[in-house]
Amino acid sequence: MHLAYLDAGSGSLIVQAVVGGVAGAAVAAKLYWRRLTARYRRQRTDRS
Amino acid sequence: MTIPHTDVRTDPGSFRDPANRVFYADGEVLRGLDARAARDWRALSASDFFPPLLAAGKVCGTEAVEPARFAAVAGAQWAAVLRHERIPFVSHPYEWSFGMLRDAALLHLEILRAALTAGFTTKDGSAYNLQWRGVEPVFIDVGSFEPARDGEPWAGYRQFCQTMLYPLLLTAHLGVDFQPWLRAQVDGIPPEQMRRLFTGVRRLLPGVPTHVHLHSAMQQRNADAASGEVREQLRGAGFSRELALAAVRRIERLVRRLRPRHVRSHWADYQRTCSYSAADRAAKERFVELALTAAGPPRLVLDLGANDGRYARLAARYAGYVVAVEQDPAVVDELYAALRADEQRRVLPLVLDLADPSPGGGWRGVERAAFATRGRADLVLALAVVHHLAIGRNVPLAQVVDQLADACLPGGRLVVEFVHPEDPMARRLLANKPAGLFPDYRPDEFARLLAARCRVERRVELPGGTRTLYQAVVGG
Ligand SMILES: C[S@@+](CC[C@H](N)C(=O)[O-])C[C@H]1O[C@@H](n2cnc3c(N)ncnc32)[C@H](O)[C@@H]1O
Repeated sequence: MHLAYLDAGSGSLIVQAVVGGVAGAAVAAKLYWRRLTARYRRQRTDRS
Repeated sequence: MTIPHTDVRTDPGSFRDPANRVFYADGEVLRGLDARAARDWRALSASDFFPPLLAAGKVCGTEAVEPARFAAVAGAQWAAVLRHERIPFVSHPYEWSFGMLRDAALLHLEILRAALTAGFTTKDGSAYNLQWRGVEPVFIDVGSFEPARDGEPWAGYRQFCQTMLYPLLLTAHLGVDFQPWLRAQVDGIPPEQMRRLFTGVRRLLPGVPTHVHLHSAMQQRNADAASGEVREQLRGAGFSRELALAAVRRIERLVRRLRPRHVRSHWADYQRTCSYSAADRAAKERFVELALTAAGPPRLVLDLGANDGRYARLAARYAGYVVAVEQDPAVVDELYAALRADEQRRVLPLVLDLADPSPGGGWRGVERAAFATRGRADLVLALAVVHHLAIGRNVPLAQVVDQLADACLPGGRLVVEFVHPEDPMARRLLANKPAGLFPDYRPDEFARLLAARCRVERRVELPGGTRTLYQAVVGG
Protein backbone atom coordinates (compact mmCIF):
# COMPACT_ATOMS: atom_id res chain seq x y z
CA MET A 1 0.00 0.00 0.00
CA HIS A 2 1.17 3.55 -0.57
CA LEU A 3 2.94 5.03 2.46
CA ALA A 4 0.55 7.96 2.81
CA TYR A 5 -2.38 5.58 3.42
CA LEU A 6 -0.71 3.75 6.26
CA ASP A 7 -1.76 4.69 9.77
CA ALA A 8 1.33 5.38 11.86
CA GLY A 9 -0.91 5.90 14.88
CA SER A 10 -2.03 2.26 15.18
CA GLY A 11 1.25 0.93 16.55
CA SER A 12 1.54 3.87 18.93
CA LEU A 13 -1.71 2.83 20.57
CA ILE A 14 -0.56 -0.71 21.32
CA VAL A 15 2.81 0.41 22.75
CA GLN A 16 0.98 2.33 25.43
CA ALA A 17 -0.41 -0.88 26.82
CA VAL A 18 3.14 -2.16 27.27
CA VAL A 19 4.25 1.16 28.81
CA GLY A 20 1.49 0.67 31.39
CA GLY A 21 3.39 -2.20 33.05
CA VAL A 22 2.66 -5.89 33.59
CA ALA A 23 -1.12 -5.58 33.41
CA GLY A 24 -0.77 -3.58 30.22
CA ALA A 25 1.61 -6.08 28.65
CA ALA A 26 -1.01 -8.74 29.36
CA VAL A 27 -3.55 -6.68 27.41
CA ALA A 28 -1.15 -6.41 24.46
CA ALA A 29 -0.50 -10.16 24.60
CA LYS A 30 -4.22 -10.85 24.64
CA LEU A 31 -4.72 -8.58 21.63
CA TYR A 32 -2.08 -10.48 19.68
CA TRP A 33 -3.47 -13.83 20.79
CA ARG A 34 -6.94 -12.84 19.59
CA ARG A 35 -5.57 -11.72 16.23
CA LEU A 36 -3.79 -15.05 15.87
CA THR A 37 -6.80 -17.18 16.74
CA ALA A 38 -9.02 -15.04 14.52
CA ARG A 39 -6.69 -15.68 11.59
CA TYR A 40 -6.64 -19.42 12.35
CA ARG A 41 -10.43 -19.55 12.49
CA ARG A 42 -10.67 -17.66 9.20
CA GLN A 43 -8.31 -20.12 7.51
CA ARG A 44 -10.38 -23.06 8.72
CA THR A 45 -13.67 -21.63 7.45
CA ASP A 46 -11.95 -20.76 4.15
CA ARG A 47 -10.87 -24.38 3.71
CA SER A 48 -14.18 -25.99 4.57
CA MET B 1 -23.85 44.51 19.78
CA THR B 2 -20.81 43.94 17.60
CA ILE B 3 -17.59 45.79 18.21
CA PRO B 4 -15.84 47.09 15.12
CA HIS B 5 -12.46 45.35 14.97
CA THR B 6 -9.81 46.79 12.75
CA ASP B 7 -6.97 44.29 13.05
CA VAL B 8 -8.28 40.74 12.65
CA ARG B 9 -6.32 37.67 11.70
CA THR B 10 -6.55 33.93 12.03
CA ASP B 11 -3.70 32.16 13.78
CA PRO B 12 -2.00 30.27 10.95
CA GLY B 13 -0.91 27.60 13.45
CA SER B 14 -4.39 26.57 14.58
CA PHE B 15 -5.87 24.88 11.50
CA ARG B 16 -5.05 21.29 12.38
CA ASP B 17 -8.15 20.70 14.46
CA PRO B 18 -11.15 21.79 12.36
CA ALA B 19 -13.39 21.88 15.45
CA ASN B 20 -11.84 25.12 16.67
CA ARG B 21 -9.78 28.03 15.45
CA VAL B 22 -7.81 30.85 17.06
CA PHE B 23 -8.19 34.50 16.01
CA TYR B 24 -6.48 37.70 17.00
CA ALA B 25 -8.57 40.82 17.06
CA ASP B 26 -7.19 44.12 18.32
CA GLY B 27 -4.86 42.48 20.78
CA GLU B 28 -7.43 39.95 21.99
CA VAL B 29 -6.98 36.20 21.57
CA LEU B 30 -10.23 34.44 20.66
CA ARG B 31 -11.11 30.83 19.93
CA GLY B 32 -14.15 29.80 17.93
CA LEU B 33 -15.67 26.38 18.77
CA ASP B 34 -18.01 24.30 16.61
CA ALA B 35 -21.09 22.65 18.17
CA ARG B 36 -19.25 19.58 19.39
CA ALA B 37 -16.25 21.52 20.72
CA ALA B 38 -18.67 23.86 22.48
CA ARG B 39 -20.27 20.88 24.20
CA ASP B 40 -16.82 19.64 25.26
CA TRP B 41 -16.03 23.11 26.62
CA ARG B 42 -19.20 23.16 28.74
CA ALA B 43 -18.38 19.74 30.16
CA LEU B 44 -14.81 20.87 30.80
CA SER B 45 -15.72 24.03 32.66
CA ALA B 46 -18.19 22.04 34.79
CA SER B 47 -15.58 19.37 35.60
CA ASP B 48 -13.67 18.98 38.87
CA PHE B 49 -10.20 19.02 37.40
CA PHE B 50 -10.21 21.96 34.99
CA PRO B 51 -11.09 24.99 37.18
CA PRO B 52 -8.23 24.30 39.65
CA LEU B 53 -5.72 24.06 36.78
CA LEU B 54 -7.03 27.34 35.45
CA ALA B 55 -6.84 28.98 38.88
CA ALA B 56 -3.25 27.76 39.35
CA GLY B 57 -2.29 29.32 36.01
CA LYS B 58 -1.26 25.94 34.58
CA VAL B 59 -3.75 26.35 31.75
CA CYS B 60 -3.91 29.72 30.02
CA GLY B 61 -6.63 32.06 31.25
CA THR B 62 -9.91 31.33 29.42
CA GLU B 63 -13.44 32.63 29.60
CA ALA B 64 -16.51 32.23 27.42
CA VAL B 65 -17.73 35.35 25.66
CA GLU B 66 -20.95 36.05 23.77
CA PRO B 67 -20.43 34.58 20.25
CA ALA B 68 -22.72 37.16 18.63
CA ARG B 69 -20.41 39.95 19.79
CA PHE B 70 -17.56 38.45 17.83
CA ALA B 71 -19.40 37.23 14.74
CA ALA B 72 -17.86 40.01 12.67
CA VAL B 73 -14.40 38.84 13.69
CA ALA B 74 -14.58 35.10 13.87
CA GLY B 75 -17.45 34.44 11.49
CA ALA B 76 -20.96 33.43 12.48
CA GLN B 77 -20.39 29.66 12.24
CA TRP B 78 -19.09 29.15 15.80
CA ALA B 79 -21.33 27.73 18.49
CA ALA B 80 -19.18 29.29 21.21
CA VAL B 81 -16.33 31.75 21.45
CA LEU B 82 -13.63 31.78 24.15
CA ARG B 83 -11.30 34.60 25.07
CA HIS B 84 -7.77 33.66 26.18
CA GLU B 85 -5.11 35.34 28.21
CA ARG B 86 -2.42 36.85 25.99
CA ILE B 87 0.94 35.08 26.16
CA PRO B 88 3.53 37.89 26.45
CA PHE B 89 5.91 36.52 23.79
CA VAL B 90 5.25 33.43 21.67
CA SER B 91 8.14 30.94 21.45
CA HIS B 92 8.67 27.56 19.84
CA PRO B 93 10.03 24.33 21.38
CA TYR B 94 13.20 24.59 19.30
CA GLU B 95 13.96 27.83 21.14
CA TRP B 96 13.71 26.20 24.57
CA SER B 97 16.52 24.72 26.61
CA PHE B 98 16.54 21.13 27.86
CA GLY B 99 15.12 22.08 31.26
CA MET B 100 12.38 24.11 29.59
CA LEU B 101 11.31 21.28 27.30
CA ARG B 102 11.40 18.86 30.25
CA ASP B 103 9.27 21.11 32.47
CA ALA B 104 6.85 21.73 29.60
CA ALA B 105 6.57 17.96 29.08
CA LEU B 106 5.97 17.38 32.80
CA LEU B 107 3.22 19.99 32.85
CA HIS B 108 1.57 18.37 29.84
CA LEU B 109 1.65 14.99 31.57
CA GLU B 110 0.38 16.42 34.86
CA ILE B 111 -2.57 17.99 33.06
CA LEU B 112 -3.26 14.81 31.14
CA ARG B 113 -3.19 12.78 34.38
CA ALA B 114 -5.65 15.17 36.02
CA ALA B 115 -7.86 14.97 32.93
CA LEU B 116 -7.82 11.16 32.73
CA THR B 117 -8.70 10.85 36.41
CA ALA B 118 -11.77 13.00 35.76
CA GLY B 119 -12.83 11.12 32.62
CA PHE B 120 -11.32 13.53 30.09
CA THR B 121 -8.34 13.31 27.77
CA THR B 122 -6.39 15.49 25.33
CA LYS B 123 -6.73 14.95 21.58
CA ASP B 124 -3.04 15.50 21.01
CA GLY B 125 0.28 15.59 22.85
CA SER B 126 2.33 18.17 21.04
CA ALA B 127 5.01 20.43 22.50
CA TYR B 128 3.23 23.23 20.64
CA ASN B 129 0.41 22.88 23.20
CA LEU B 130 2.63 24.81 25.61
CA GLN B 131 3.89 28.36 25.93
CA TRP B 132 5.63 30.39 28.63
CA ARG B 133 4.81 33.13 31.09
CA GLY B 134 8.41 33.99 31.99
CA VAL B 135 9.88 30.71 33.26
CA GLU B 136 6.44 29.20 33.98
CA PRO B 137 5.09 26.80 31.35
CA VAL B 138 1.42 27.25 30.40
CA PHE B 139 -0.86 24.79 28.59
CA ILE B 140 -2.57 26.80 25.87
CA ASP B 141 -4.58 24.34 23.79
CA VAL B 142 -7.90 24.42 25.61
CA GLY B 143 -9.52 23.04 22.44
CA SER B 144 -7.59 19.82 22.96
CA PHE B 145 -9.66 18.53 25.89
CA GLU B 146 -12.51 16.10 25.25
CA PRO B 147 -14.37 13.46 27.25
CA ALA B 148 -12.42 10.20 27.23
CA ARG B 149 -13.97 7.06 25.81
CA ASP B 150 -13.36 4.20 28.18
CA GLY B 151 -10.82 1.63 27.11
CA GLU B 152 -8.93 3.93 24.78
CA PRO B 153 -5.26 4.81 25.00
CA TRP B 154 -4.02 8.41 24.73
CA ALA B 155 -4.26 9.64 21.12
CA GLY B 156 -1.43 12.13 21.75
CA TYR B 157 1.23 9.62 22.75
CA ARG B 158 2.97 9.52 19.36
CA GLN B 159 3.12 13.32 19.15
CA PHE B 160 4.38 13.49 22.70
CA CYS B 161 7.21 11.10 21.81
CA GLN B 162 8.08 12.92 18.59
CA THR B 163 8.03 16.49 19.88
CA MET B 164 9.01 16.08 23.55
CA LEU B 165 10.27 12.71 24.76
CA TYR B 166 12.61 11.95 21.83
CA PRO B 167 14.23 15.40 21.79
CA LEU B 168 14.85 15.03 25.54
CA LEU B 169 16.34 11.55 25.03
CA LEU B 170 18.71 12.93 22.38
CA THR B 171 20.21 15.42 24.82
CA ALA B 172 20.02 13.24 27.94
CA HIS B 173 21.45 10.06 26.45
CA LEU B 174 23.59 11.23 23.53
CA GLY B 175 24.55 14.81 24.49
CA VAL B 176 23.11 16.00 21.16
CA ASP B 177 21.30 19.37 21.15
CA PHE B 178 17.69 18.71 20.15
CA GLN B 179 16.84 22.22 18.92
CA PRO B 180 17.93 21.82 15.26
CA TRP B 181 16.00 18.50 15.01
CA LEU B 182 12.76 20.11 16.17
CA ARG B 183 13.26 23.21 14.07
CA ALA B 184 13.67 21.13 10.93
CA GLN B 185 10.54 18.98 11.39
CA VAL B 186 7.30 20.48 12.57
CA ASP B 187 5.98 17.05 13.58
CA GLY B 188 9.12 16.16 15.51
CA ILE B 189 11.39 13.13 15.21
CA PRO B 190 9.74 9.89 13.98
CA PRO B 191 10.46 6.64 15.90
CA GLU B 192 12.27 5.00 13.00
CA GLN B 193 14.83 7.82 12.91
CA MET B 194 15.36 7.55 16.65
CA ARG B 195 15.78 3.78 16.39
CA ARG B 196 18.78 4.23 14.10
CA LEU B 197 20.50 6.49 16.63
CA PHE B 198 20.10 4.05 19.50
CA THR B 199 21.88 0.89 18.43
CA GLY B 200 24.16 -1.47 20.39
CA VAL B 201 24.15 -0.97 24.16
CA ARG B 202 22.32 2.33 23.72
CA ARG B 203 19.22 0.24 23.09
CA LEU B 204 19.07 -0.35 26.81
CA LEU B 205 19.17 3.27 28.01
CA PRO B 206 16.14 4.38 30.07
CA GLY B 207 13.03 4.79 27.94
CA VAL B 208 14.69 3.53 24.77
CA PRO B 209 13.56 -0.14 24.64
CA THR B 210 9.84 0.66 24.77
CA HIS B 211 9.34 4.24 23.59
CA VAL B 212 11.83 3.99 20.73
CA HIS B 213 12.45 0.40 19.60
CA LEU B 214 9.18 -1.27 20.47
CA HIS B 215 7.32 1.82 19.28
CA SER B 216 9.05 1.80 15.91
CA ALA B 217 8.54 -1.95 15.46
CA MET B 218 4.85 -1.73 16.42
CA GLN B 219 4.28 1.11 13.98
CA GLN B 220 5.77 -0.89 11.17
CA ARG B 221 3.90 -4.07 12.01
CA ASN B 222 0.55 -2.33 12.43
CA ALA B 223 0.92 0.12 9.59
CA ASP B 224 -1.88 -1.41 7.54
CA ALA B 225 -4.32 -1.64 10.46
CA ALA B 226 -6.60 1.39 10.75
CA SER B 227 -6.29 2.99 14.18
CA GLY B 228 -10.05 2.74 14.73
CA GLU B 229 -9.82 -1.03 14.37
CA VAL B 230 -6.86 -1.21 16.76
CA ARG B 231 -8.75 0.85 19.35
CA GLU B 232 -11.57 -1.69 19.13
CA GLN B 233 -9.15 -4.61 19.56
CA LEU B 234 -7.50 -2.94 22.56
CA ARG B 235 -10.84 -2.33 24.22
CA GLY B 236 -11.76 -5.95 23.58
CA ALA B 237 -8.51 -7.12 25.16
CA GLY B 238 -9.28 -5.17 28.34
CA PHE B 239 -7.47 -1.86 28.01
CA SER B 240 -8.79 0.46 30.72
CA ARG B 241 -8.54 3.98 32.06
CA GLU B 242 -6.33 2.66 34.88
CA LEU B 243 -3.88 1.34 32.30
CA ALA B 244 -3.86 4.67 30.47
CA LEU B 245 -3.11 6.37 33.79
CA ALA B 246 -0.38 3.87 34.65
CA ALA B 247 1.28 4.58 31.29
CA VAL B 248 1.20 8.34 31.91
CA ARG B 249 2.66 7.91 35.39
CA ARG B 250 5.52 5.83 34.02
CA ILE B 251 6.31 8.37 31.32
CA GLU B 252 6.31 11.09 33.98
CA ARG B 253 8.76 9.12 36.10
CA LEU B 254 11.04 8.63 33.09
CA VAL B 255 10.96 12.30 32.05
CA ARG B 256 11.60 13.50 35.59
CA ARG B 257 14.78 11.39 35.75
CA LEU B 258 16.31 12.74 32.54
CA ARG B 259 19.29 15.10 32.91
CA PRO B 260 21.03 16.96 30.10
CA ARG B 261 24.43 15.80 28.95
CA HIS B 262 25.73 19.14 27.74
CA VAL B 263 29.16 19.63 26.39
CA ARG B 264 30.72 22.13 28.80
CA SER B 265 30.79 25.36 26.86
CA HIS B 266 33.21 28.23 26.97
CA TRP B 267 30.35 30.69 27.52
CA ALA B 268 29.13 29.05 30.67
CA ASP B 269 32.12 30.56 32.52
CA TYR B 270 31.91 33.89 30.77
CA GLN B 271 31.19 36.12 33.76
CA ARG B 272 34.18 34.68 35.56
CA THR B 273 36.58 34.78 32.63
CA CYS B 274 35.51 37.98 30.86
CA SER B 275 37.75 41.00 30.76
CA TYR B 276 35.65 43.47 32.76
CA SER B 277 37.15 45.28 35.70
CA ALA B 278 34.88 46.08 38.63
CA ALA B 279 34.90 49.73 37.53
CA ASP B 280 33.85 48.81 33.97
CA ARG B 281 31.04 46.63 35.23
CA ALA B 282 29.72 49.26 37.61
CA ALA B 283 29.78 51.93 34.90
CA LYS B 284 28.05 49.59 32.45
CA GLU B 285 25.31 48.71 34.92
CA ARG B 286 24.70 52.36 35.70
CA PHE B 287 24.47 53.18 32.00
CA VAL B 288 21.98 50.38 31.31
CA GLU B 289 19.87 51.26 34.33
CA LEU B 290 19.61 54.88 33.25
CA ALA B 291 18.59 53.80 29.75
CA LEU B 292 15.85 51.58 31.19
CA THR B 293 14.40 54.51 33.12
CA ALA B 294 14.89 57.11 30.38
CA ALA B 295 11.23 57.02 29.36
CA GLY B 296 8.24 55.26 30.90
CA PRO B 297 8.67 51.58 31.77
CA PRO B 298 9.32 49.60 28.56
CA ARG B 299 6.68 46.96 27.85
CA LEU B 300 9.03 44.54 26.11
CA VAL B 301 12.82 44.37 26.36
CA LEU B 302 14.93 42.12 24.14
CA ASP B 303 18.34 41.22 25.58
CA LEU B 304 20.45 39.92 22.68
CA GLY B 305 23.39 37.72 23.66
CA ALA B 306 22.12 37.54 27.24
CA ASN B 307 24.64 35.02 28.62
CA ASP B 308 23.95 34.60 32.36
CA GLY B 309 21.14 37.16 32.21
CA ARG B 310 22.77 39.81 34.42
CA TYR B 311 21.30 42.62 32.31
CA ALA B 312 18.03 40.82 31.56
CA ARG B 313 17.39 40.68 35.32
CA LEU B 314 18.30 44.32 35.66
CA ALA B 315 15.83 45.10 32.87
CA ALA B 316 13.12 43.03 34.57
CA ARG B 317 13.13 45.51 37.46
CA TYR B 318 11.81 48.17 35.12
CA ALA B 319 10.17 46.39 32.19
CA GLY B 320 6.90 44.54 31.72
CA TYR B 321 8.59 41.54 30.10
CA VAL B 322 12.12 40.60 29.06
CA VAL B 323 13.09 38.09 26.38
CA ALA B 324 16.70 36.98 26.90
CA VAL B 325 18.15 35.56 23.69
CA GLU B 326 21.30 33.46 23.75
CA GLN B 327 22.79 31.04 21.24
CA ASP B 328 24.30 28.53 23.62
CA PRO B 329 21.75 25.91 24.81
CA ALA B 330 23.79 25.00 27.90
CA VAL B 331 24.00 28.66 28.96
CA VAL B 332 20.26 29.12 28.45
CA ASP B 333 19.60 26.01 30.51
CA GLU B 334 21.60 27.43 33.42
CA LEU B 335 19.88 30.76 33.07
CA TYR B 336 16.46 29.06 33.10
CA ALA B 337 17.31 27.13 36.27
CA ALA B 338 18.66 30.27 37.97
CA LEU B 339 15.59 32.32 37.04
CA ARG B 340 13.28 29.63 38.38
CA ALA B 341 15.26 29.40 41.61
CA ASP B 342 14.87 33.17 42.06
CA GLU B 343 11.18 33.07 41.13
CA GLN B 344 11.91 35.70 38.52
CA ARG B 345 8.64 35.70 36.59
CA ARG B 346 9.25 38.31 33.94
CA VAL B 347 12.22 36.94 31.99
CA LEU B 348 11.82 34.42 29.18
CA PRO B 349 15.16 32.85 28.18
CA LEU B 350 15.39 31.53 24.61
CA VAL B 351 17.96 29.61 22.56
CA LEU B 352 18.52 31.54 19.35
CA ASP B 353 21.46 32.32 17.10
CA LEU B 354 21.23 35.93 15.97
CA ALA B 355 23.11 35.02 12.81
CA ASP B 356 20.58 32.25 12.10
CA PRO B 357 17.32 33.13 13.88
CA SER B 358 14.27 30.83 13.68
CA PRO B 359 12.72 31.04 10.22
CA GLY B 360 9.01 30.50 9.62
CA GLY B 361 8.06 26.82 9.82
CA GLY B 362 5.31 24.33 9.06
CA TRP B 363 2.66 24.74 6.41
CA ARG B 364 3.63 27.49 3.93
CA GLY B 365 6.30 28.56 6.36
CA VAL B 366 3.75 30.46 8.44
CA GLU B 367 2.37 27.86 10.83
CA ARG B 368 5.26 28.67 13.19
CA ALA B 369 6.12 32.34 12.97
CA ALA B 370 9.68 33.43 12.27
CA PHE B 371 11.44 35.10 15.20
CA ALA B 372 11.68 38.46 13.47
CA THR B 373 7.89 38.64 12.97
CA ARG B 374 6.97 37.92 16.59
CA GLY B 375 7.17 41.40 17.91
CA ARG B 376 9.60 44.27 18.15
CA ALA B 377 10.78 45.64 21.46
CA ASP B 378 10.47 48.98 23.19
CA LEU B 379 14.07 48.56 24.25
CA VAL B 380 16.83 46.36 22.84
CA LEU B 381 19.99 45.51 24.78
CA ALA B 382 22.94 44.46 22.61
CA LEU B 383 25.78 44.37 25.10
CA ALA B 384 29.14 42.98 24.02
CA VAL B 385 27.56 41.04 21.16
CA VAL B 386 28.24 43.21 18.08
CA HIS B 387 31.81 41.92 17.76
CA HIS B 388 30.51 38.34 17.72
CA LEU B 389 28.33 39.09 14.73
CA ALA B 390 30.68 41.47 12.87
CA ILE B 391 33.93 39.60 13.43
CA GLY B 392 32.85 36.13 14.52
CA ARG B 393 30.24 35.70 11.81
CA ASN B 394 31.48 38.15 9.15
CA VAL B 395 28.23 40.19 9.12
CA PRO B 396 28.98 43.64 7.68
CA LEU B 397 28.89 46.22 10.48
CA ALA B 398 26.19 48.27 8.72
CA GLN B 399 23.95 45.22 8.61
CA VAL B 400 24.51 44.47 12.28
CA VAL B 401 23.36 48.02 13.07
CA ASP B 402 20.31 47.51 10.82
CA GLN B 403 19.46 44.22 12.53
CA LEU B 404 19.59 45.81 15.98
CA ALA B 405 17.60 48.87 14.93
CA ASP B 406 14.97 46.68 13.22
CA ALA B 407 14.47 44.74 16.45
CA CYS B 408 13.18 47.98 18.04
CA LEU B 409 9.76 49.49 17.56
CA PRO B 410 9.86 52.85 15.80
CA GLY B 411 10.77 55.31 18.53
CA GLY B 412 12.13 52.50 20.70
CA ARG B 413 15.54 52.54 22.37
CA LEU B 414 18.68 50.69 21.47
CA VAL B 415 21.38 50.21 24.11
CA VAL B 416 24.49 48.89 22.46
CA GLU B 417 28.06 48.26 23.56
CA PHE B 418 30.80 48.49 20.95
CA VAL B 419 33.95 46.55 21.78
CA HIS B 420 36.97 48.25 20.18
CA PRO B 421 39.33 46.19 18.03
CA GLU B 422 42.11 46.67 20.64
CA ASP B 423 40.02 45.07 23.39
CA PRO B 424 41.41 41.67 24.43
CA MET B 425 38.12 39.89 23.59
CA ALA B 426 37.87 41.48 20.14
CA ARG B 427 41.55 40.74 19.55
CA ARG B 428 40.90 37.09 20.27
CA LEU B 429 38.16 36.96 17.65
CA LEU B 430 40.27 38.90 15.14
CA ALA B 431 43.17 36.48 15.64
CA ASN B 432 41.01 33.74 14.08
CA LYS B 433 40.54 35.71 10.88
CA PRO B 434 42.94 36.76 8.09
CA ALA B 435 44.63 40.08 9.02
CA GLY B 436 42.94 43.16 7.58
CA LEU B 437 39.64 41.42 6.85
CA PHE B 438 37.55 43.99 8.73
CA PRO B 439 38.87 47.47 7.98
CA ASP B 440 35.44 48.94 8.91
CA TYR B 441 35.42 47.50 12.39
CA ARG B 442 36.34 50.80 14.13
CA PRO B 443 34.63 52.91 16.82
CA ASP B 444 34.28 55.94 14.52
CA GLU B 445 32.67 53.87 11.76
CA PHE B 446 30.29 52.25 14.24
CA ALA B 447 29.32 55.69 15.59
CA ARG B 448 28.69 56.93 12.05
CA LEU B 449 26.50 53.94 11.11
CA LEU B 450 24.53 54.19 14.34
CA ALA B 451 23.91 57.92 13.84
CA ALA B 452 22.60 57.18 10.33
CA ARG B 453 19.85 54.93 11.75
CA CYS B 454 19.18 56.46 15.17
CA ARG B 455 19.38 59.57 17.26
CA VAL B 456 22.15 58.98 19.80
CA GLU B 457 21.09 60.28 23.21
CA ARG B 458 24.03 59.30 25.34
CA ARG B 459 27.43 57.68 25.07
CA VAL B 460 29.99 56.61 27.63
CA GLU B 461 33.49 55.18 27.38
CA LEU B 462 34.02 52.48 29.97
CA PRO B 463 36.98 53.21 32.29
CA GLY B 464 39.03 50.41 30.67
CA GLY B 465 39.12 52.51 27.51
CA THR B 466 38.26 49.76 25.00
CA ARG B 467 34.46 49.76 25.09
CA THR B 468 31.85 52.38 24.24
CA LEU B 469 28.19 52.30 25.28
CA TYR B 470 25.44 54.04 23.33
CA GLN B 471 21.83 54.82 24.07
CA ALA B 472 19.93 55.71 20.91
CA VAL B 473 16.35 56.26 19.77
CA VAL B 474 15.51 54.37 16.60
CA GLY B 475 14.17 56.38 13.71
CA GLY B 476 14.40 59.52 15.83
C1 LIG C 1 30.56 38.79 25.60
S1 LIG C 1 29.05 37.97 26.07
C2 LIG C 1 28.04 39.32 26.62
C3 LIG C 1 27.01 38.93 27.65
C4 LIG C 1 26.14 40.06 28.17
N1 LIG C 1 25.34 40.66 27.12
C5 LIG C 1 27.00 41.11 28.84
O1 LIG C 1 27.11 42.21 28.30
O2 LIG C 1 27.54 40.83 29.90
C6 LIG C 1 28.39 37.56 24.50
C7 LIG C 1 27.22 36.57 24.58
O3 LIG C 1 26.61 36.59 23.31
C8 LIG C 1 26.35 35.28 22.90
N2 LIG C 1 26.38 35.26 21.45
C9 LIG C 1 27.45 35.33 20.64
N3 LIG C 1 27.07 35.24 19.36
C10 LIG C 1 25.73 35.09 19.36
C11 LIG C 1 24.76 34.91 18.35
N4 LIG C 1 25.10 34.84 17.06
N5 LIG C 1 23.46 34.77 18.70
C12 LIG C 1 23.10 34.82 20.00
N6 LIG C 1 23.97 34.97 21.00
C13 LIG C 1 25.28 35.10 20.69
C14 LIG C 1 27.44 34.44 23.51
O4 LIG C 1 27.05 33.08 23.63
C15 LIG C 1 27.65 35.15 24.83
O5 LIG C 1 26.87 34.58 25.86
